[in-house]
Amino acid sequence: MYPRPIPEAAVWQRRFYVLGVVVVLLLWLCPLFAIILTSFRSTEDVMGGNLWGWPTKIGVVDNYTDVFTQTPMARYFLNSLTITIPSVIGVLVLSTLAGYVLSRYRFPGNMVIFALFVGGNFLPHQIMMIPVRDLMVRLDLIDTTAALIIFHVAFQTGFATLFMRNFIAALPDELFQAARAEGASPFQTLWHVAIPLVRPALAALAILIFTFIWNDYFWAVVLTVSDSVKPVTAGLANLRGEWVSAWNLISAGTIVVAVPPVIMFFLMQRHFIAGLTMGAVKG
Amino acid sequence: MSDLNSRPLEVPSFNSREPGRMTSLELRQINKNYGTYHALRGIDLSVAEGEFIVMVGPSGCGKSTLLKTIAGLEEISSGQILINGRDVSKQEPGDRGIAMVFQSYALYPHMTVAENMGFGLRMAKRPKAEIEAAVQRAAKILRITDQLEKRPKQLSGGQRQRVAIGRAITRSPDVFLFDEPLSNLDAALRTQMRVELSSLHAELGATMVYVTHDQVEAMTMASRIVVLNQGVIEQVGSPLELYRNPDNLFVAGFLGAPRMNFLGVTVDDVSGHNVTVSAPGLMPVTVELAEPTVLPKGASLTLGVRPENISVVADASQGGAINGQVRLVEHLGRETILYIDAGNLRTIASESGTGNITVQLSYVAPFAANQNVALKLDARELYLFSPDGGRTLSARKTILDR
Amino acid sequence: MLTLWRRQRWWLTPTLLIAPGIVLFFTVILLSAVQSLWISLHDWDGFGPMVWIGFGNYVELYNDPQFYVSLKNNLIWLVMFMAAPPIGLAIALLVNQKIRGMRFLKSLFFIPLVLASVTVGVVFTWVYTPEFGLLALIFKAFGATAPAVLSDEHFVTFAIVIAALWPQITFCMVLYLAGLNNLSEELIGAGRVDGARGWNMLYHIVLPQLTQVTFIAIAVTVVGALRSFDMVSVMTRGGPFGSSSVLAYQMFEQSIFSYRFGYGAAIASVLFVIMAVFIVWYLTRIIRTEERGG
Repeated sequence: MYPRPIPEAAVWQRRFYVLGVVVVLLLWLCPLFAIILTSFRSTEDVMGGNLWGWPTKIGVVDNYTDVFTQTPMARYFLNSLTITIPSVIGVLVLSTLAGYVLSRYRFPGNMVIFALFVGGNFLPHQIMMIPVRDLMVRLDLIDTTAALIIFHVAFQTGFATLFMRNFIAALPDELFQAARAEGASPFQTLWHVAIPLVRPALAALAILIFTFIWNDYFWAVVLTVSDSVKPVTAGLANLRGEWVSAWNLISAGTIVVAVPPVIMFFLMQRHFIAGLTMGAVKG
Repeated sequence: MSDLNSRPLEVPSFNSREPGRMTSLELRQINKNYGTYHALRGIDLSVAEGEFIVMVGPSGCGKSTLLKTIAGLEEISSGQILINGRDVSKQEPGDRGIAMVFQSYALYPHMTVAENMGFGLRMAKRPKAEIEAAVQRAAKILRITDQLEKRPKQLSGGQRQRVAIGRAITRSPDVFLFDEPLSNLDAALRTQMRVELSSLHAELGATMVYVTHDQVEAMTMASRIVVLNQGVIEQVGSPLELYRNPDNLFVAGFLGAPRMNFLGVTVDDVSGHNVTVSAPGLMPVTVELAEPTVLPKGASLTLGVRPENISVVADASQGGAINGQVRLVEHLGRETILYIDAGNLRTIASESGTGNITVQLSYVAPFAANQNVALKLDARELYLFSPDGGRTLSARKTILDR
Repeated sequence: MLTLWRRQRWWLTPTLLIAPGIVLFFTVILLSAVQSLWISLHDWDGFGPMVWIGFGNYVELYNDPQFYVSLKNNLIWLVMFMAAPPIGLAIALLVNQKIRGMRFLKSLFFIPLVLASVTVGVVFTWVYTPEFGLLALIFKAFGATAPAVLSDEHFVTFAIVIAALWPQITFCMVLYLAGLNNLSEELIGAGRVDGARGWNMLYHIVLPQLTQVTFIAIAVTVVGALRSFDMVSVMTRGGPFGSSSVLAYQMFEQSIFSYRFGYGAAIASVLFVIMAVFIVWYLTRIIRTEERGG
């Protein structure tokens, strides 16, 4: 264990240490606190320039309800869900299939394909922007959730395939040899042997991909125009453009956008961290 | 019974109170708790300078934990550790005057062999010339002088182990600590390294504390063995002493392979120093007690007899005889091991299930499975253990035969 | 027909299994990249015909002062981003203690990583808001007035990078926490027995074991610095007057706002080449470790 664990007996040392960490944490998160506090401000205070003094009125309820009634935030939310959930499913399916084949079958070009999946992951989005946009225009899918779904499934499959491939490669060879000796077809082996064993990886991957897609901004801006299709990320940027100095409202909107990934993170924390480190450390 | 009257030959044991012998390491009432789990209980041990102490015991007995507390890698809950008279109980490992050889060698992978061996001295800020000289000296002793510029991953298992030992030597510690260093080697290499370690000890004359689960290593390398069981020291003594005169059933069963046979017997008769016991399937046999003990008729005791002290006889009518059927025969070339089904005889956790006795014959014999045999126990080599705690009740035996 | 399938399925099935992934990825992603390179050799407004101009866009780029501003900003991003791994390591070391409550605190430290880049951008825009932002408050506490960093061409890029460092440091921290969990207990024990303490222990015993993690942390950080777009777009839209623009943003601006898709593609291609150099180097390192069985 490194750094050296503070001995269990040194109770006060331990308490002070935790206190110290809390102080650092508060400093670390203070931009967030600033926004949270601002979301509690009433519009009167903001207009009057009273942002940090004692509040004359608590505007929490007003701000947060306004976010949903005065802005298309609810619609943005729905769009995010419509885009993210099908994409995650699509990515999981494709990447597991591809990862299984890449990890368990030797064929010329295996390494090349793998390298392309990894490398494609690092491409700047801008290099794909024009042709992808053009493709969507030609397919008449521009400004639809389908466009974003197609793109995200395609792009995230790169990282996800790397992830699943490494995970399946780490499974003991004997299991697959035993399945083959018993006459299982490749698909049966995948379904009955590989998939049950990679369930934790799938969970970790799902939460990671969910966060990546939900938080995507660039493609939301490029491929969507109308509010009825925009996800929360592009929506928030729009919001800021419209309600320029109503910081109490913008803050509330920011918090609303921030909350879902944070909640998901806390629920699935172990999977999230495991996913990040598995994918990164292995690759 | 004339053997019992001749003076037992004592193997000299290192006594810290003997004049001229310094106590290298002393453990006083070491206790270690992991939360509610009491890992080490009241450990007391005195190690004289130059001794080779081997700590053995089953997994979980606390031997590795004890070693780590001596090293300072684990803290003790109470007690004292003294090295060369200095209380090091609260000191950092680097300041205790110890060096340690780890089970998987723990060589720094990014350093060369020479850098690995010199690291400790470098941390102590010794002058470069001194470090170089120490490294060369250790490398020469271990015959790895031409590996000095290599990295650990370029070496074989045996070579890595030498480097690990070399690293310990360069620090000229007061006490060497070994944590199961041979477990990761294959059988042939293990035997070779065992011999080398013993000669190294003879050459350096250093105090060594060695942890292993392998009782062959313990028996062959130790000047004294410490048997640990569930955090408690069961017995300390020379290998032969522990083998011939175990203090209790645990030690008796731990040393010696194939393991000692334990039979459930009842008391037939007690008179003075002698007690006669028998069991269904075992003809009555008399065993000498260490001291006159009150044993009611019919009391249950455990009789211990080593496989090598059982012989095959013509008929099972004499005292200490058993009838049985051969279940399995193992021919080891120079000896035969028989696994006998002794019917009603109650045995305790034997090598292959209850109702079985293991016999080791020092000759090759054409036994076959299902063959009926009559066995006889050597009455001079029997042990009796109390029903509570398995204390040895039988008298001491001589250590050396001749 | 069935027997043909049965006999060939040992290679047919895998091919079918991997096909959709490959097709989708290769056409949408890889093919697009190649297409962009092609487009960069043309003049195109997105609707009309593409006019071949060879390297004309690149020549124009070479003479474009905004290009150099963007390049300079990318460099600033790269250099400043290099602070992420060490700070991430420091925080990881800080929270790596098994004390009650530490696990909860640890998870709170992770929050910046989970926030969308938009969120981070808006949060920090608020921090930097003159008069009312957190920065202004801090300056006021010392009796000074905070500069309006996002409107000042000298400070703007630094301010944006600091915002982006928030999640980037967190990512490095996660990596290092995992790395610290995988340290060899025996090697640390050997180091303690050898008398290594404090800095010596960290430098000689711990850091060498974290080499692989550091490699990944640096790779991700470099890629992040070169790819940066979101923060610039949300916080300043490249302003004031393009002084905070980076290559990725300039490309976007030229394409979407100025309808100069050919030119935008050229910028993207330059960015791509810069990153390609890095990616190739990184991939060869990975493949070499894979083949060595590392």
